[in-house]
This record gives sequence, C-alpha cells and structure tokens, in this order.
Amino acid sequence: MSNRLALSSAVSLAALALCALLVGCDRSRSPGSQTSPNTQASGPVTTPQIALIMKSLANEFFSTMAEGAKQHQAAHADQYRLLINGIKDERDLARQVGLVEEMIARRVDAIVIAPADSKALVSVLKRAQAVGITVVNIDNKLDDDVLREAGIRIPFVGPDNRAGARMVGEYLAGRLSPGDQVGVLEGIRTAFNAQQRRLGFEDAMNAAGMRIVDSQSAQWELDLGNRVASAMIGEHTGIKALLCSNDSMALGALAAIKAAGRSGQIFIVGFDNIAAIRAAIRDGAVLATADQHADRLAVYGIEYALQQIAVAASPPGSSTADQPALEDRQTPVELITAESLSEPDDSR
Amino acid sequence: MDEQLSASTASPDQLPGQPPDRPPDQPSGRERPWRVAALANYFGLLAVLAALVALFSALCDHFLTLQTLATVANQIPDLTVIAVGMTLVMIAGGIDLSVGSVLALGAATLGVAMVQWQWPAWAAATLCVGVGLGCGLANGVITATWSIPSFIVTLGMLEIARGGAYWITDSQTMYIGSRIEGLAAPLPGLGVSVAFLLAVGIVLAGQFILSRTVLGRYLTAIGNNEQVVRYCGINPQPPRIAAFAIAGGLAALGGLFQASRLGSADSNAGVGLELAAIAAVVIGGASLMGGRGSAINSFLGVLIIRVLESGLAQLGATDATKRIVTGGVIVAAVIADACRQRLGDRPLCRTSRRATEPPEADLAPSEG
Repeated sequence: MSNRLALSSAVSLAALALCALLVGCDRSRSPGSQTSPNTQASGPVTTPQIALIMKSLANEFFSTMAEGAKQHQAAHADQYRLLINGIKDERDLARQVGLVEEMIARRVDAIVIAPADSKALVSVLKRAQAVGITVVNIDNKLDDDVLREAGIRIPFVGPDNRAGARMVGEYLAGRLSPGDQVGVLEGIRTAFNAQQRRLGFEDAMNAAGMRIVDSQSAQWELDLGNRVASAMIGEHTGIKALLCSNDSMALGALAAIKAAGRSGQIFIVGFDNIAAIRAAIRDGAVLATADQHADRLAVYGIEYALQQIAVAASPPGSSTADQPALEDRQTPVELITAESLSEPDDSR
Repeated sequence: MDEQLSASTASPDQLPGQPPDRPPDQPSGRERPWRVAALANYFGLLAVLAALVALFSALCDHFLTLQTLATVANQIPDLTVIAVGMTLVMIAGGIDLSVGSVLALGAATLGVAMVQWQWPAWAAATLCVGVGLGCGLANGVITATWSIPSFIVTLGMLEIARGGAYWITDSQTMYIGSRIEGLAAPLPGLGVSVAFLLAVGIVLAGQFILSRTVLGRYLTAIGNNEQVVRYCGINPQPPRIAAFAIAGGLAALGGLFQASRLGSADSNAGVGLELAAIAAVVIGGASLMGGRGSAINSFLGVLIIRVLESGLAQLGATDATKRIVTGGVIVAAVIADACRQRLGDRPLCRTSRRATEPPEADLAPSEG
C-alpha cells in the first residue's frame, strides 16, 4: 500500500513538473497558449493596459491575429501593455463573458474583443463601458439592433466580409458562363461573418446569372466540408464551382473533388488565405481566396483603442462617453489568386 | 507492455499455477446458438441500413449510384476503425472519450513529421500510430493502476491530446498533399480505397479477437462480471489495458486515414467524434454497461450514421433537420435493439444473473 502511495505521489509530482515545463515552454513560444500575460512590458506602470479578447486561439486565424498583436506590442512596449485571452471553443460564450468580467475587475484601460456571438456579449460590454473602459469591437461585428436597444455605441474595426466574398465570387464568375450551376459551403449559420460571406457569394453569383443549386453549412470544418461537398457534387452532377466560406472547407471540397475523379472540372474558391491553401492555389487546384490580413486585424483595433484612450486623456474634465470619434473603420480585404501569389512582394 | 501489466493492482488476485493463457472455460460446442443470434442481429441492422438507402434513393436523384456508394465507403475508414477500438473498450465495461483528440494528435504528428521534418510516409505513419498507442496505453495503465473510472481518465486525455495537437502544429492546418493520398484514393476498377479495405480488415480482425481469442473472451467476461473473473483467477487488468491501447492506436490510425483522405492534417479534426463512435457502437447493440458488443455490428452502426449523414447532405437538408433526424434515428435504433433483446434474450439474462456460476454463456460476444 505504501508502495502505491509512493508511486502515485511520484507520478503526481512528475505530472506537475511536466506541467511546469510545458508552461515554461509556452511562455517562450506561446502561439497556442490560452493566456499569455505579457512579460516583456517594461514601460512605467502608467502605460495603458489593453486586453485583447479573442475567440479560440486554437484557430489558425485567431492565433495569427494574436501573434500580430504581440509583435506590435513588442515594437511599442513603451506605449501600452497587452493581455491576450482566448476561449477554448468558438461557441463557448459563457467563458468569453466571464473573460470580459475578469478584465473589468482588473480595471484594464481598453478591451479589444472579437465577440464569439454578435448579441450575447453586448450587455457585459455595456458594463465595461459604464466603468470607463474603452471598448473596441474587431472581427465579428456586434448586432446594430441590440447595440441600439442597449443604448450604447461600440466602434467596429474590421473587414467587410460581404464585400470580400463578393470580390472572390466575381473573380470566379469570370471563369464561368451564365446559367452554370454552383454550390455554396457556409460556415456556422448563426455567425455574422458566415452570413455575410454567404450573402457576398450570392450577390456575385446572382449578378453574373449563375444558378446556386445547393447551399449548406459545413460548420467551418475541414472533414465536414469534405463530406458535404462529396454529397453535393454527387447529387448535382452538373455543378461547376463550389464557393466555400473558409479555406478549411475549401481544402475539404478539394479532396472531395479529387476523390470523385473530377479534378479540374470544378472550380473552388475559399476565404481567409491560410497557409495550407496557398500551395493549392499555386497548383491551380483552388482558384482564389480572400485575405483579411489576420495578422493586422487586432493591431488595427489596438491602434484605434489607443487613440480613444489618448482622446479621453487629453481634454481634462470631459467624460469619455461623449467623444465624437466613435465611428466604424473598415480594414482591407485582398483577393488572392495564383497571379497575386506569384508576385514577389506578396509574401506576407 | 508486460512490465506495466505486472505492476497493476490486481496481481494479488491471480491464483498461483493458473496460467492466464486459457480462458476458464472454452465451450467448443456452444458456438452455434450465438452465431444464429448474431446473424439475426446483423439482419436487423442491415434492414435499417437498406431502409435508409431505399429512402434516400427515392428522395435524391443520384443517391443510388456506384459513385455515391463508393464515396460513402471511402469516407468511413476513420470512424470505422475508431468504432472497432471503442467496441473493445466498451465490451470490457469502459469508455474512451479521447478518440477524437487522439485522432487529431495522430494526424498532427503525421503532418509535422512529413511536412516539417520531411520524413518518408511510412515512418511518419508508424510514428502516428505509435503516438496513438502511447495515449491509449496511458489511458489503460492509469485506469487500471488506480482503479479510476475510464470516463474521467479519457476525458483528461481528450484535453491533453487536443492540446498536444495544437501545440505541435501551432494550430495550423498542415497541407501534406499527394504523398499520402494513395491510401485514400479509389482503386481503379474497384471504386473503394485501400483505407476502406484496411478498415474492413480491421473490423474482421476485431470480430475475430472478440469471438475467437482469449483476449476477447476475457474482455467480454470482465464487462459482464469482473468479480467472477477475479474469482476465476484471472487478472482483469492486462486485457483491459490492451483494449485501451488498441483503441488509442486505432484512433491514430483513423487520423492517418482522415489525413490521407483530406490531403491535410487538421488539429481541429475529430471534435465530437467520440460521440459518433459511441453512437455507432451502441446502435450496433453494444451495452454501455459492458459485456455485450460486436465489431461487425459496430461497423453496421457506422454505416447507418454515415449513410444517413450523406443522404441528408444530398437532400440539401438544413442543419436543424440534419441534427433532429440523426438524433431520432440513433434513439430509434437503440429502442429497436432493446425490444429485440427483450424478446430474444430472456433465458440468457437469467443465467447471467447467477453470479457464482462461471458466465460461460456470456463469454460469447454479440449474442445481443
């Protein structure tokens, strides 16, 4: 029995040591970490502290975003301190609300947030504004009606997903002829950006006279995208193109078309410009995608928040609530094709 | 593996002079009855499957085509091998919640080995399966050594393996390309892929292990009544650990199959896959309490789930419809199975309740 006790305590100790080791490694590498309080911040205590609250940092798009923010902070360490937090699962709303509450309790100067839901985060962000925290919304736009109902304004800094998707769709339409059948793979339908991308694809296809014969959600996922695309091209044998709302689903669709032996007969377009899609675009297996410059997205939000803090600080005695500059800012979306990838200056 | 096994807690229970290489009783003449029962079980599930295919053939324009059927066949190897592993674990009364994450970790390892380290495909595939075996072995050893419910141990492994997958890939999708696609590409003239044939082979091997080997008999006996197994002088831990290790290895093999089908390794792969695997195994008539299950029936369960999914996608059903119908079919299949058991299994149930008697009738798997 004492042997077992010794064994189990040894194992527990080993596990703890391993955890400590992992956390140590994480500090130095950290793209996959959930919480990475910035340790290099060397400025005086008076530098503003900005909390960046993301969706899942396990998602390449958001980890790229966080990485860009970290680099920006490292280059501007004298101007602000950065606290990055993410949730485990894109749909874990409760945890994200909890994160905002924790940041309110910490009395950060600004919260830059990519909301996991367009509506559910509004009331907690209202509380943050009420205690004087600057709030900037990035990536996924908060719902205008809910904001109006709550009686607050939160500026949105981010890309126009609908215009981006329309741009990709128009490029695709140039390769099709009017009346061709196309299918759409959507993201999670409750997500605002998924709705916007679908609408953008539809705008482009309808304008060019294409026929959308099928439009289904594949939940942003590679494997599900593969299976839904297989079913789509199996049922609609005349389909000429698949418009995918993100690159993971586009990779899944690519594998489905290969497996069906119809490589080269069906065009694929995606969205996001993840690393894995670029090889496929260079090979001509995928026609185009859109780049929202994920590495810059959070930085745009942080820069905006810093400006707001500066404005609030400069005229003494004025309250932050009625500053005039609370307007939305649009960030660029770029069309990525085989030609644009071959340009030497485009390696981001 | 034997070092770990001898360290397990149950060794005092093992009677001296009882070599554990033979089950306590191997009834050679008892095979016919359960085989007939198993056949009846196959027919029930096959009927459900045929009904689904008929339904979708009527509703869709291009469902009943060789192309569609081959597509479905080539999409199921990953879930199939995972369901076989899950069957082994569940027969012994355990559960493995970590299979989806281990699949992702296996695929991620494969991707990193092939893309970043430029390993040859065979070496990367070996490493991939090895990582899965390691995860499964850890599940089994921890469950057995400290007698912790496997539910919580594998829930921990679910998080650890997922975190590991994110860590080694930096949360990026790895594009592997054509170097491993041969495994999943349809064979000319046959329509199905090597991966599918391997998966079917593994189903048959799993069924063989369960019905014809000492390990299978032990697992079934452990799931039925572990106390009796101990009284018979058998250490129940080695077979249990072996079941978890096999399940882990098969989950990583599923990751290899999926990565070859998709041409990429996705660290977000297989989220929630453990539930699909459990559903398939339970549709196949396995008991969540252990002691009952069959690899072939689990395979039929996988077919039912995937045919349903594929058919609904071909119909262009909405997300809401897909989920409601899938859930309904799972519940209906389990109800049908419960009714069939109540009609067919009464005498067997009565025998197994006499705990002092060696559960010879229950040693045969899949009599369901």
